[in-house]
Amino acid sequence: MTATCAAGAGLEAVRKSLRAQVSGLRANDFEDCELNTWIGRVDGVERVPIPSSQRDYECRSNRLALLGLEQDEFVARAASLRRRFGAERIACVLGTSTAGIEQSERAYRHPEDSNRFGSRLAHNPHTATRFVAETLGLTGPVLTISTACSSSAKVFASAARLIDAGLADAAVVGGVDSLCLSVLHGFNSLELVSEQPCRPFDRDRNGLSLGEAAGFALLEPEPSSSIGRLLGWGETSDAWHMAAPHPEGRGAIAAMQTALASAGLEPGSVDHINCHGTATPMNDRIEAGALQQVFGTPPPAVSTKAWTGHTLGAAGIVESVFSLLAIADQRIPVSLNCVQPEPDWSDFILRRARSAPVKIVLSNSFGFGGSNCSLLFGAP
Amino acid sequence: MSIKADILGGGIAAPGIPDWNGLRAVLDGQPPSSACELPRTGLLSPRERRRAPATVRLSFAAAEQACAMADIAPDRPAAVFSSAIGDIDLADYMCRTLAESPQQLSPTRFHNSVHNAAAGYWSIGTGSQVDVTAVSGWWDSAVAGLFEAATRAATGSGPVLLVVYDDCGQGPLTNVWPVRQPFSAALVISAPSTRNRSLAHLALSASNADDGYSDRHPDLPAALLERMADNPAARLLPLLALVAGTGPAAITLAAECGSGLHIEKVRA
Repeated sequence: MTATCAAGAGLEAVRKSLRAQVSGLRANDFEDCELNTWIGRVDGVERVPIPSSQRDYECRSNRLALLGLEQDEFVARAASLRRRFGAERIACVLGTSTAGIEQSERAYRHPEDSNRFGSRLAHNPHTATRFVAETLGLTGPVLTISTACSSSAKVFASAARLIDAGLADAAVVGGVDSLCLSVLHGFNSLELVSEQPCRPFDRDRNGLSLGEAAGFALLEPEPSSSIGRLLGWGETSDAWHMAAPHPEGRGAIAAMQTALASAGLEPGSVDHINCHGTATPMNDRIEAGALQQVFGTPPPAVSTKAWTGHTLGAAGIVESVFSLLAIADQRIPVSLNCVQPEPDWSDFILRRARSAPVKIVLSNSFGFGGSNCSLLFGAP
Repeated sequence: MSIKADILGGGIAAPGIPDWNGLRAVLDGQPPSSACELPRTGLLSPRERRRAPATVRLSFAAAEQACAMADIAPDRPAAVFSSAIGDIDLADYMCRTLAESPQQLSPTRFHNSVHNAAAGYWSIGTGSQVDVTAVSGWWDSAVAGLFEAATRAATGSGPVLLVVYDDCGQGPLTNVWPVRQPFSAALVISAPSTRNRSLAHLALSASNADDGYSDRHPDLPAALLERMADNPAARLLPLLALVAGTGPAAITLAAECGSGLHIEKVRA
């Protein structure tokens, strides 16, 4: 697995940020954007060259995807998987929300440039999935999940089903979402963006910080060695509102309970929770309440979004990587920027990192459209 | 290895092909009708209907028909909404507003611009609390949706609603989306069961053509071939024809990138 986000490119850089408790957020310096906010921009994305043979894929999202693929020897690992199973037996399932829209935003801002729209292969939700499948030489089922902020959590479930059903032997899963004006101004129009670095679960939290990320993992049913296991998942819908979660966390509760049931686990067996934890006043309150409904007293829970910003369609994969790192390193990170938690959750939102036995982790991802996904990962 | 699946219901909504009977008529050689107006969904309140984007009306029209034909309550099946590009009208609005007056962006239109807007409104409108997901495969979106829906039916516990839809192009984005006619189709797919009254029993397997990229299917009327060339959602038509037709047949839905699907009509 690998992750590239504001907290670092590749696992070692991310680990270093986690240990040093250094946020990757910076005062907004995104091109052509005057908003007073903080963002999790990934350094150097602008300078990543798309190979000339793939120039139809030119857009920020695919440059970020390529930067992500270059970390942790991911391309070589995927090639090894390809040699063992055959390219046509490996699925490629990625999540995203905004994909290549930034390229079209740019085209509308520069009507004087007659070639401004670039290729049809950039402005569509499938662009990064297709670009990654071609880059890695994968010819099995190629599928994009685009359910807003739950997208790249759901890729694990979709890939597992393709393997269970016999349509693939293994899969590359992941997610890519790059910053763009649509989400910066869009979340601002909903009054959900903070002017400070986001503070998930803090009593003074006042909104999210947007970020960008790319992350990937290899999924196979019976590996000779692994970082961790996908134990179960739960995917549900709120049936409530396009942009606001159900007030009692109905869909979130059902997603966590379904994940536990699918893994055959009791709530008490979960050692750590990586929350969705966006740092909006309502989302964190509803998620904390949902955790208490499912777990009674929840195990140590954190949001890692103060490191990365909310990376939307890439949040699921980034936080799956954080969850698997907690297992690999036997270390639960602090819920960064939560200085004064609300009394209701002060006993389970972690304010100091701790070394502890971590065998089973729950990762939550909830999105617009009332789309919820909870994943359970276990030690290998 | 192949997946066995039953088709319990189907629906279609496109200019001149307003429903399943309309599809049968065109398959029998009649020209598409002059009907262009999509039906209005009864699943949303008038207020929700006003707020809902165009993709809702387009996708719901086929989805509601398929559920009715399968005699299944629309909140019951897990649902897969597959679209190549999502809401092109809202993408145009977003890009235009961001270029001209970003502070004026409408919050409702922003949250409606997500790819899973139609899926989200389906959950809200039907009250469905099971999974309603949204996928894309660009020009291969019919195949991508089938992969997701068929594997859910094969590994899950109940029928799955697949909706494949794409709208026509708008404004400057016709540069990247030159599609001229909207198209939407839906199937209710289930693992084989003797209790089901099914339209067709199918066997689906991944297909990697080594002779290049091309669909294989019995000949279709020119009017349908035209739709397939225009709109990627219409690339589901060979399967719809297979389901609607009588007698044995096999088709291959090719993919520009990755595996396609070989689909055979089999005996129960």
